[in-house]
Amino acid sequence: MNLSLNEMEATAKRATRGGLYSWGLAEDAAKATRWLCARGLDGGAVLAALLQQEFAASLHDHTPQSLDGPWRCETTLCPLIAGVTLSDCAGRLVQGPIEMRQLAQPLLILPFAAQVARRLERPVTVTSGSWAAVTDGTALSMPQEAPDHAEHLRIELGGALLQLRPHHTRATPAPETHALLSRFAHLTYAPATEESRLLGAGAGLSDND
Amino acid sequence: MGSVAPTYIPRRAPEQVMRLSRLGSLHQCRLSFMRVLTRRMARDGWTFTRPVFAIDDKGVGHAVYTAQGPERAYSLVAFAHDLPPEMRSDRVIATAWDTTFTLFDGVPTEQDIERLSRNVPLQEAGRVSEREISVSRANRSVRLWAHFVDTLASGRQPDQDRIDAVGYLMRTTAVYGSGKLGAADREVIADREELQVPFQAEMLSVYLTRTFVRDLVEHMARVKGGDQAVRLDPAIARQLGIGNSTGLGMAPFIINHPILFNNWIMAREEAIARVRSHQTATQAEVDIFRAILKRSAVSIARWQSQHPIQIEKLAHLTSDMRALEAHVQQEALLLDYPWDRLVRWSETALSEEGQELVASLILEPYADEVDGLASCMADSNSDAFVIDGAMQIKEVRALIEDRFGWALSLDWEAPEHCARAWYVSEEKLEPRMGERFEEPIAEYEQPLAPARDAAAAHRALADQGDDRPIAEFLLRHPEHRHTIRRLQMSRIAPYSEVQDNTISATVLPIDMLRAKLSFFGATHFDPRSDRWVRICMYAGAPYPEDLTTENADLWVYPEGTG
Repeated sequence: MNLSLNEMEATAKRATRGGLYSWGLAEDAAKATRWLCARGLDGGAVLAALLQQEFAASLHDHTPQSLDGPWRCETTLCPLIAGVTLSDCAGRLVQGPIEMRQLAQPLLILPFAAQVARRLERPVTVTSGSWAAVTDGTALSMPQEAPDHAEHLRIELGGALLQLRPHHTRATPAPETHALLSRFAHLTYAPATEESRLLGAGAGLSDND
Repeated sequence: MGSVAPTYIPRRAPEQVMRLSRLGSLHQCRLSFMRVLTRRMARDGWTFTRPVFAIDDKGVGHAVYTAQGPERAYSLVAFAHDLPPEMRSDRVIATAWDTTFTLFDGVPTEQDIERLSRNVPLQEAGRVSEREISVSRANRSVRLWAHFVDTLASGRQPDQDRIDAVGYLMRTTAVYGSGKLGAADREVIADREELQVPFQAEMLSVYLTRTFVRDLVEHMARVKGGDQAVRLDPAIARQLGIGNSTGLGMAPFIINHPILFNNWIMAREEAIARVRSHQTATQAEVDIFRAILKRSAVSIARWQSQHPIQIEKLAHLTSDMRALEAHVQQEALLLDYPWDRLVRWSETALSEEGQELVASLILEPYADEVDGLASCMADSNSDAFVIDGAMQIKEVRALIEDRFGWALSLDWEAPEHCARAWYVSEEKLEPRMGERFEEPIAEYEQPLAPARDAAAAHRALADQGDDRPIAEFLLRHPEHRHTIRRLQMSRIAPYSEVQDNTISATVLPIDMLRAKLSFFGATHFDPRSDRWVRICMYAGAPYPEDLTTENADLWVYPEGTG
């Protein structure tokens, strides 16, 4: 499918909300998805994969228990709550690297690392095993595909931007991905009733005038 | 130009400007997007052609109108259809229209048109590409259309009274831009000088649509009347605007785009403050104001509405106009700070409709100081979205108290204060507003009550440590994240928040619609209920072949006596 980035963002926001995240996190997830798509990455697929993990119903269990030391929880860390917290705490990276343990969908950390890079005006490097990505906020260097889970993830200032990914102005999710996101998005829509059809939009007059 | 004042009159306070009743009383001004567009096209010598007009005797076919600017061309691709009356609906849930359109980036090839002909007529059910900037549709005003075709076909001109009663031959029922239905994203075009000001592509699309509608009605009259048919008198054609029906779905726009809407309001408020700060006005400036006031009175006299709310507002506005005309005849404009005096007088003597009319009209003599502000009306600050997690709890609390102090003492559990809920319906995915206590919609509620949410965040922050960073709170309470984001945005965008309850039992969505549409430059707001409104666009504007720097700006004010 060939979507405008606005369409991708709107779908991602509704889908994330449909996946039981708060509106604020849905906004962040949508911008993050858009950021990935604009760099030719399949942001829709990674968001869809995250939503299928159903962290949001018990988000507290997937939230870093403490921001001192490595960020971890009893189970798997949600990259949305970890990502926004990384962005919110951008200044902490000046003191030293931030580490995360058992993180789902680590690709979703990159847009938030980019926000840190823009705020601090320094490149940020994200590594997990042999996977590494560097961003200055706008440009992204990521030679290898991201894993879908990171046992150890390290985020630190610095890094060299080599082999930049080209900029994309469209999102091209697979039809299955789009269908999955749409299914989540659908959960935010109130079922239509005849009453709401008329009252909700305030119509009912003839337009043949 | 008058001398620059030693005293600077500040911009009006958000608490005054951002009340819904005032937003619902805004009028067009020099910064309106239609006027910005026509001024630019005239100044830069845009040329206009109609390379294709392939409409058959039934009125079915397509046409292309190309607007060539200094660097780029844009083409309206118009499709005309034979629509059975029972399918004609202004509602967004309609599935067929009299005419459908797209604004193409450049000049379309035959292959482009073929592709578009399979998609544009379907509107939401079709797909366009990054080569298209907007998608829209329009329906006839049935009574006026038939009257025009019949009279022109029989060699006569239409009746003035019937024209006055409607004002347009067709009304658009949706104009989609910004990546909707697969079209180009705003980012793709935002850096182009001619499209930097918001909604310029959409306004261009509507401007060319008006020309197509005029051509189409003449074509249909020729088909019907043959040699007997006459062309439409250009003076009548010029009075015609394009109507527009805007429904509830657009009301959340001003809440969903806080920085963008702030920039619109702030540009106008800055313009008002600059003009009020003039210590004196020259006779020439006063003359311009008086002349425009007179022409504005003609427009207001033609403004009709059937809706009780607007009928009452128009009655006030009509008496405001009498008071205003009498007031400015008393040489009041030659005292010191004449515009500031006028604004302050209006606040004691006129309704909000009248006050906002004055605020818009005083900008007219000062093109040099006002028009450049249009370049500040876009939202290019994407970083404002990012939350500053280091902000201390006490700072956030103070920010809420400053922005939403009035909301903190409201009982948000009381039914009258939360009677409504905004939601998105399953069909057509359009925002709607329902009754929270009568319909099963609360669990689908959209975040369109910033004041209520700010009050809730304030309560939740009450027992948090003053000096702790907000990031720690948000880690445990992500449900307040959208509220904290908006609050932080308001630090750079003082007019970003409506200073009223958007879910109260008495909220009028038409106030939000009018606020937005006034910045387009719409006139003659005609609410059809508390949640949708008809307006007129481009009435009085020169057609492309007549556009000059002399007539590109003030066309919105009718000449003559009405």
